[in-house]
Amino acid sequence: MEQFFYYVKVSWVSIKRAPLPYALTVFILSLGLGVFFANATFYYQMNSDPLPHKSDKLFYPMTLMVPYECNDCLPPRIHSYSNVQKLSASDIPTAKVAMYSSDGYLRLSSSQAPTPVSIRITQPAFFSMFEVPLLHGSVWSDDKARQELILSKQTAEKIFGRSNVVGEKVLLDDRHYTVIGVLDNWQMLPRLYDANNRNHVNDADQVYMPLETGYDYNYMSNSQSHTFDDTDFRQLGTQGRTGALHQLQFWVQLDTQAQQQAYRQFMDNLVADEKKAGRHQSTPNNQLVAMRDIVRFFGGESADIKAFALVTLLFLGVCLFNASHLSLNRYLSNQYEFSLRRALGASRLQLQQQMLADVLLMTLFCTLCGLLIAWGGVELLNYLWPANRLFGRWDPTLLLLLLGLTLSSSYLVTLYPSLRASFGGLNQQLKE
Amino acid sequence: MIQLKNLSKVFRTELIETHALRQIELQVSEGEFVALTGPSGSGKSTLLNVLGTLEHFDEGDYLLDGQSVRGLSDRQLSALRNEKIGFIFQGFNLIKDYSLLDNIELPLRYRGISASERKRRALEALELVGLAARKDYHPSQLSGGQQQRVAIARAIAGQPRILLADEPTGNLDSLMARQVMELLEQINRQGCTILMVTHDPDQARRASRQVQIVDGQLSDAAMYDPLAVKLA
Ligand SMILES: Nc1ncnc2c1ncn2[C@@H]1O[C@H](COP(=O)(O)OP(=O)(O)OP(=O)(O)O)[C@@H](O)[C@H]1O
Ligand SMILES: [Mg+2]
Repeated sequence: MEQFFYYVKVSWVSIKRAPLPYALTVFILSLGLGVFFANATFYYQMNSDPLPHKSDKLFYPMTLMVPYECNDCLPPRIHSYSNVQKLSASDIPTAKVAMYSSDGYLRLSSSQAPTPVSIRITQPAFFSMFEVPLLHGSVWSDDKARQELILSKQTAEKIFGRSNVVGEKVLLDDRHYTVIGVLDNWQMLPRLYDANNRNHVNDADQVYMPLETGYDYNYMSNSQSHTFDDTDFRQLGTQGRTGALHQLQFWVQLDTQAQQQAYRQFMDNLVADEKKAGRHQSTPNNQLVAMRDIVRFFGGESADIKAFALVTLLFLGVCLFNASHLSLNRYLSNQYEFSLRRALGASRLQLQQQMLADVLLMTLFCTLCGLLIAWGGVELLNYLWPANRLFGRWDPTLLLLLLGLTLSSSYLVTLYPSLRASFGGLNQQLKE
Repeated sequence: MIQLKNLSKVFRTELIETHALRQIELQVSEGEFVALTGPSGSGKSTLLNVLGTLEHFDEGDYLLDGQSVRGLSDRQLSALRNEKIGFIFQGFNLIKDYSLLDNIELPLRYRGISASERKRRALEALELVGLAARKDYHPSQLSGGQQQRVAIARAIAGQPRILLADEPTGNLDSLMARQVMELLEQINRQGCTILMVTHDPDQARRASRQVQIVDGQLSDAAMYDPLAVKLA
C-alpha cells in the first residue's frame, strides 16, 4: 500500500513538472469520451429493454384481413375492433389487451379551466402485462364500459394537489367519471407497447379509460387510424365496432414456445377461415412480433442516433490517437527518469506498476472531465432533439460502462508511450 | 569478482557499425580501485554500461561473482543492479523535484525495504558524504560537488559491492574533484570495488590499477602491468 501511494506521488510529481501538456492530454481524451458518451447515452437508452424478463413473451400479432385484395402487402400495424375480437377469441394467450391513445381535457368542475391530457384507452390486462405499478386503488374489474378512470400520479397531483384521490369525481371532456386508481411513478423507456407509430420515445399517458367507454364516446386514435371501407369515424360506437376502421393496438402474452406455436396456428386458421367466408381475398401474411423486436420490425430505430454513434466513435478514435501522441511526448521527455530508475534497479514490472498509477490518475481526471462534457453534450442533444429528451439519462450501468471505457482509454493512451520509455536505451538518456 | 571473457559490443545504426568494444579480457578482484582511461570515443562508457548491465553485449561473456549475466531475466538483472551495483554518473542524474533523502532512497525502494529502514540507511549515507544537515534540500539548492556527493550517497546507500563511476569529477572544479576522490577512496577502503572512468592522469594514478582502452581494445601494457602506463 505504501508502495502504491508512492507510485501515485511519483505520477503526481511528474504531472506537476509539466502540467500544461498533461492537462491538454486529459482534455482531448475527455472530449472524445464525453462526446461519445453523450451520444452513447441515447443509443443505450433507446436500445434498452424495459422488461427484459418479459419482452420475449409479449407479442404483437398482425394479420392481413382487409376488405380488398392485396398480395405482397404488409399487414396493417393496427387492427379493427372486429378483428381484435376475432384475435381475442382464443384461450391460448396467458393475457391479451387491446388499446389506443387519444387526447382530452380534464378538470374538477365546469368552473375550472380544463387541462389537456393524453389518454390511454385500454383494458385491465394492460396494467399487469406491462407491469404498471399502482399506488392507490385498483384497476377495472372487467373489460366493460364504465365511468371510471385511472390517473397517473403526476396528473392526480396536478388536478387535486395530492395523489390519493381514489373515489373522487372528475370531468373528462365534460363527462363525469370516478377515479378508481392512481399509478405510481411510471415511465417505460422506450415505451415498446406504443411503437407502431414511433410513439415509443414519448412520455407515458396521463389518464387511462376503459376501451369500451372510449368507443362509446367516439374517441378517435390520435396516432394512427385507417379506414378500409366506408365506416364513418364519427360513429365509432356503432359502425366503428363492426366496420374496417383500424386503430387498435393488440398485444398477447405467450409464455411458452408451445403457446407461441399454437397461437400462430390459431392466426393461420383464423385468416384462412375468414378468406373462405369471403371477408377478404389477400394472400395470408401473418406476423407475430415479440416486444423486444418491435422497434426494429417497425423500422423505428433512430437513424440520426445510429449515424451519430458511428461519428462519435470515430471522433473518440481520433482523440485517442492525439492523446497518445501527446502522452508519448510527455513520456519521452521523462524518459531520462525512467532510465535512471532502471539503472538504480527498478525492474520493468515495477515501472509498469508506476505506469498503472499514471493510468489511475488519468482515469480519475478523464472521468470527471468526461462526465462534465458528456453532461453538456446530453443537454445539447436534448435541446436539438427534444423528441428524444426522455432518453438522455444516466443509470448506474451506464456510468459503470463509462468508467470502464475511460479506464481502458487511459490505459491505451499510457501503454504504448510507457512501453517505449521503459524499453528505451538506458545509457543514452543518462549521458546527458 | 568481475570477469570479462572475449567480450565484444557493436553499435549498429542504419549507416555505420561501431565496434565499441573488441574482445575485451578483464578481471577485477574484490576491493580493487580500477581507473579506466582512454581517448574520447574509445569505449570507456560503453564498458562501464556493460558492467552495470545497462547495455547488452554481442559476443563473449561477463561473469559476476562467477555467474554469467547472459540469459538472466529482466527481473534478475534489475535485482542484480539494485543489490550489487552502485552507479555514479558524470551528470549526477538526481531527480530535481525530490528532496535529497527521496533521491537517495530511490534504489532502496525497489528492493522492498521498509520505510524506516530506508530512511535510516539514506541518512547514514548522507552522513558519510557530509550532507546530513541538508537532507530536505532539493538538488538545485546544492553546488555541483555537493550534488555529486549526494549521487555517491545514493549509489552506496544500498551497500553495493561494486561502484561504477563514469567521470564522476568531470563536471567539477579541482577542489571539489579532490573531495569526491577522497570520498571514493574512503569507500574503497571500506571494501567496495570501484571502477572509475577518468580523464585526469593524477586521479588515475591514485587508483590501485589503471586500465587503458584505445579504440575499443584494452591496451596490453595497461592490462598486465600498471607500471608500464605510469612510465609512458
Ligand atoms: N547508442 C549508441 N549508438 C551508436 N553508437 C554508439 C552508441 N553509444 C556509443 N556509441 C559509439 O561507441 C563508441 C564508444 O563510445 P563511448 O561512449 O563508450 O566512448 P567514451 O570512451 O566513453 O568516450 P568519452 O570519453 O567521450 O565519454 C563511440 O564511437 C560512440 O560513437
Ligand atoms: Mg564516456
